Amino acid sequence: MNGARHAPEAERTDFLAVLAKVCLVTFLTSLGIVVLYPLLWMALNGFKTNAEIFGNPFALPSGFGVANYISAWNQGIRNYIATSVIVTVGSAICTVLISAWTAYGLTRSKLPGKPFFVGIVLGGLMLSPTVAVIPLVRMMQDLGLYNTYWALIILYTAFRIPFTTFLIRAYMLGLPRDLDEAAIMDGASERQIFWKVTLPLCKPILVSCVILHVLFAWNEYLFAMIFTSGADLQTLPVGLTSIMAKHGTNYAVVFAAMTLSALPIVITFFAAQRFFIRGLAEGIGK
Amino acid sequence: MADLSLRNIRKAYADFEVLHGIDLEISSGEFIVFVGPSGCGKSTLLRSIAGLETITSGDLIIDNERMNAVAPSKRGISMVFQSYALYPHMTVFENMAFGLRIAGTPKSEIDERVRRAAEILQLDKYLHRQPKALSGGQRQRVAIGRAIVRNPRVFLFDEPLSNLDAALRVGTRIEIAKLKRSMPDTTMIYVTHDQVEAMTLADRIVVFNDGRIEQVGTPTDLYRKPANLFVAQFIGSPAMNILKGKVVERSKTSARCLLDCGVSFETEVEPGRLSQGEAISVGIRPEDVELHDGTATDLAFTGSIDLVEHLGEVQILYLDLPDIREKFLMKAGGQSTFERMQGICFTVRRQNLHIFDSSGNAVRGER
Repeated sequence: MNGARHAPEAERTDFLAVLAKVCLVTFLTSLGIVVLYPLLWMALNGFKTNAEIFGNPFALPSGFGVANYISAWNQGIRNYIATSVIVTVGSAICTVLISAWTAYGLTRSKLPGKPFFVGIVLGGLMLSPTVAVIPLVRMMQDLGLYNTYWALIILYTAFRIPFTTFLIRAYMLGLPRDLDEAAIMDGASERQIFWKVTLPLCKPILVSCVILHVLFAWNEYLFAMIFTSGADLQTLPVGLTSIMAKHGTNYAVVFAAMTLSALPIVITFFAAQRFFIRGLAEGIGK
Repeated sequence: MADLSLRNIRKAYADFEVLHGIDLEISSGEFIVFVGPSGCGKSTLLRSIAGLETITSGDLIIDNERMNAVAPSKRGISMVFQSYALYPHMTVFENMAFGLRIAGTPKSEIDERVRRAAEILQLDKYLHRQPKALSGGQRQRVAIGRAIVRNPRVFLFDEPLSNLDAALRVGTRIEIAKLKRSMPDTTMIYVTHDQVEAMTLADRIVVFNDGRIEQVGTPTDLYRKPANLFVAQFIGSPAMNILKGKVVERSKTSARCLLDCGVSFETEVEPGRLSQGEAISVGIRPEDVELHDGTATDLAFTGSIDLVEHLGEVQILYLDLPDIREKFLMKAGGQSTFERMQGICFTVRRQNLHIFDSSGNAVRGER
C-alpha cells in the first residue's frame, strides 16, 4: 500500500533527473560544438581551394591534399613556429623556476615582514603590460636586447611571475611541513629540500603553470609585435598577420597557416590535460 | 651511546614562554617517555632536542658537547614523525637512503645499511614500492627504518602510533619494544599522550604540565607514588578519585583528617607537614577500592551506584557518595552483578590512600 503510494513520486523524481541530465548534456554538447566547430572548419578549409571556400564554405573539401599546408609551412610558418617555440619554452622554464623558488621562499622562509613581500610579488598581477610598453622599449633598446629572443623571454617571464607564483604558493602552502623537517633531519640543505623534496611534489601545479604560460606566450601579440621586427624573429601571432597581409586573397593558405599555428598548443594541452586539471584543482582549491 | 642533559631549557615564541626551565638527565641507552596533556610542551621539547626549534635559553648537552647551535643532522639524532613524513615521490628504498645519499655515503654501504634495516623491520619485500602503496603500519616501519639507517645516538619518536588503529597500535608498540632491546645502547625519547604506551615502553616517564616537569620516575613510581595531584590524576585509567577534606586534629607525628563525605581517618605525618584546619585532598585509585559487607570500621565508605560500565573482565561503577558532587569510580570484577541505585559499602587500605596538602603536593605519611 505504502509502496504503491510512493511509486508515482519516485517515477517523477526519476523523470526530473533524466530531464536535467539531458539538458546538461545538450548544453555541454552545444558548447563543445561552438568551440570546436570553428577550429574544425578552419582545418578543413586548409584542404580546399579558394573557389571551394567561396562556393560552398561549409561543405567538406573535395580532397585532402596537403599542398596548402606545405605552401604555408614554406612561406614562413616554419620560422614563426621555431621562434615561438624558443620564446615559449625559454620563458616557460624561466617563469616556472623563478616562481617556484619565490613561492618556496614565501611559504617556507622565516623572512621578517613576509606578508609585505607576498603583497609586492602578488601586486604585480595589477600591472598592465600596455602601460609599461614605452619605458620597456627604451630599456630594451638601451640594453641592446631590442629585436632579440631575449626581449620576449624576459618580458614574458617578468609579467607572468606574479600569477605563476600565486598558483605555486597556494599549492606549496598545502604541502606538509613534516616533509621539510624530515629532510632537515636527513641533513638536506635548503637547496636540496627545494630540488629533491618540494619541487617533485609540486609536479601537478608546475605542469598547470607551464601549460598556462605556454597558452599565454604562444598567443601573445602586443609585445611580440612591438619588440621584434623582421620575419626571422617574429612569433606566430605576428607572423600570421604578415601572412594574412601578404596572401590576403589566398584564404586556403591562410587557413592552413592558422591550423598549423594552433596545432602544437592543442597537442600540448591534451597531452598534459590530466596534470593541468589536478594541479589547478589542488592549488586554487586551498 | 649518548648521555643527554637538559639544563634549564626555556623556549619562548615572542613573549609567550612555553617551556619554563626544563632540567633533565637522561643516561645512555635509556628509554624515556614524555607524557602530558595537549599543549604541555612535550613535543616542543622533543623538537628542541632535534634542532627543529631553537632553544631560547639553557643548554642541551649530548655526550658532554653543547648542541644548541649544532645543525639537526649533525647532532646524531634521528626522529620518527607522527605523520611518518615519508617522501611520497620516492620508493621505500629511496626514502630510507635519502639521508645517507645527502651525507655522501658510498653506494654499496647505502645499499647494505638500507637492506639490513629493511630486514629487521620486515620491509625487504616493499623496497621498490612507493609509500602510497603501503598500509599505515608499514609506513610507520619505513619511518622507523629511515631513522635506523643513520645509526643515531639518540632516537626521537613524536607520537609515532597515534595515526594507527587500536590493533595495529598494540602490534607496533611491541615492535618498538623489541627494537629497543635490539639497540640497547641507543637512547630513545618517546612522546605520547597514551598512558599504556608510556607505562609499557618506558624505563622512566617524564610527566609534563604547562611547560614544566611535574615528576620523573619509573612507571611504577609514578603510579604508586605520584608527587602531586596532577600526576596522580594523569597517570592511571580511569583517573584517581580525589576526595576533599581537612585536618581536624594535628598531633606531633600524626593528623586526623575528615573527608567531606563524612569519613575520617588518622595518618602519620612528618613534622612540618599539614597544619590543623588545612584543606587536604585524598586520592583513591578505582582499582584500590574493596567492597565489604558493612562490618568494616576503618575507612568505611557508603554510596549508591549511579552507572555501571561493563568492560568484559571488569566493571566500572560510578558511585554517588554523600555530600560529594563528583562521581566516585571503582573497579569491580566482571562476574558480579550490580544495579543502578543499589547501595554499596566499600573500604580502602590505609597504604593505598594518597594524601595531598593544600598546595597539591603529596604527603607521604603512610609510605
